[in-house]
Amino acid sequence: MVRYNWGEEMSEQPEVFLPLSQATYYILLALRECRHGYAVMQDVEKISEGSVALGPGTLYGALGKLQKQGIIQQVKVIDADRRKYYVLTDLGREVLDLEYKRILSVVSHTKRVMGEEKR
Amino acid sequence: MTIKKIRLFLASNIEKEEKWLTDMSSKGFHFQKYYFGVYNFNQNPEEEYIYQIDFNEASQEYFSFYKEAGWKHVDSSMGRFHYFKKRADQPGVKKLYTDLESMKESVQRMLQFYLMMFLLLICSQAGLFLTWHGHPVQKAVAALAAFGVVLYLCLFVSLKKKLQFYK
Repeated sequence: MVRYNWGEEMSEQPEVFLPLSQATYYILLALRECRHGYAVMQDVEKISEGSVALGPGTLYGALGKLQKQGIIQQVKVIDADRRKYYVLTDLGREVLDLEYKRILSVVSHTKRVMGEEKR
Repeated sequence: MTIKKIRLFLASNIEKEEKWLTDMSSKGFHFQKYYFGVYNFNQNPEEEYIYQIDFNEASQEYFSFYKEAGWKHVDSSMGRFHYFKKRADQPGVKKLYTDLESMKESVQRMLQFYLMMFLLLICSQAGLFLTWHGHPVQKAVAALAAFGVVLYLCLFVSLKKKLQFYK
């Protein structure tokens, strides 16, 4: 596999992209590794244990938008079907990490509140 | 056997059109081709498809992406409306758009496109009004253009309503 970076990175702050939509979060999670569009769809289904299914329109639009925002980048891969491959940029990794921490804090707050009510 | 049916849908009524095509398919008539309000169907009682219409700018990559996800391209209209079908018994997502955000973006694309078309219509009619003599032919053309304007306004109102719904 031959690859090199494709596209420019933008100097945006990762915070401005939060919170992410459920679809976007899982797409970023799938793109921790370089994948083509359809593989993203399959991986999202796998990592969400089938609970998140993305329509091709939703995924296609999201990939275009995330690339424009500099969160993911295209990777040149020699592919017989000429599919486009993507991977997270450094900014994308930061965004995913921040969102993960945000979700963790939401969960811990919820646990505390729900736990108190049960007692 | 091929049958033809004439139907007119407002562009914003894409869901109604999809439902109609899917219902037709469940009766054994599968949509093949669209041309100016005329829908061609092929009969085959053995098969059944789900139909979806996507308003998008297409490329080769776009079609192969949808194909890989299980959606076969059937036909396109105006280079923007793309008809896709998928076998009803095939597993997986039955829709092209699965969240509100992407549905909203698709309505926004449609609104932008039709605003451009509307501007073109207005510009193309400017000459008519600059050379206005009240000639019967001119009146007929003006009436037609006015009808077009009313249609566009209906479309804009219904697209706006959709956008508000998705907000």
